[in-house]
Amino acid sequence: MAAPLPFSESELRLVQVLLKRKVRFMVVGLSAATLQGAPVVTQDVDLWFENLGEPKISRALQEVGATYVSPSINNPPMLAGKGAELFDIVIRMDGLGTFADEIKNCVDIPLGRQKLKVLSLERILASKIAANRAKDKLTIPVLRDALAATQSIKRRAKKK
Amino acid sequence: MKRRVQPIDAAKASRWARRLSARVGKILAAHPDADRDNIRHTLILLEQPPFERLQRSLIRGRATAIFRK
Repeated sequence: MAAPLPFSESELRLVQVLLKRKVRFMVVGLSAATLQGAPVVTQDVDLWFENLGEPKISRALQEVGATYVSPSINNPPMLAGKGAELFDIVIRMDGLGTFADEIKNCVDIPLGRQKLKVLSLERILASKIAANRAKDKLTIPVLRDALAATQSIKRRAKKK
Repeated sequence: MKRRVQPIDAAKASRWARRLSARVGKILAAHPDADRDNIRHTLILLEQPPFERLQRSLIRGRATAIFRK
């Protein structure tokens, strides 16, 4: 039996349409960390887009009945509409390079026939250390330990 | 409705637990400052497919948010 997906049908469709239209984005934050095995909890999936002004994004969102809401004084940039509630938009990552730099530090996680770019655990840890907010301080030791465990598993797999 | 509980293969489960414990021990030997539970939970999660890990995390994260309200 296939593993259950954390996405509803409409959420999954949104991600698939973004991938199909070759929108350049990656999953970042704690959701990216959990995809790589870190034992942390999160309430949303953070997406980092290379260029939010790209017409491909609005076309992809339109296709699934969602839309991009520009930032205002009280609200960060966000996605609204069907299947978009789960996703948060990230416009900058503390302590990291540009999108083009960091996409090289992504791992590919298969999603159906496509591959989802997910920022590596090392870089997520680097961004949390740089951001150093109260909530980041809670997760830094967990991410550090998870990184030690995943690296040990990778080394073990290489030896075999 | 009563849920049927699948019988557990105790020998297999205890082999798995011993293997896990040995791997945790090895990692802790290389990273003495690491937390045993974090290492153990990571190793357990690495046995699951990525999207199942995310699903667990989202379910727990949302439950925590509900309890906080």
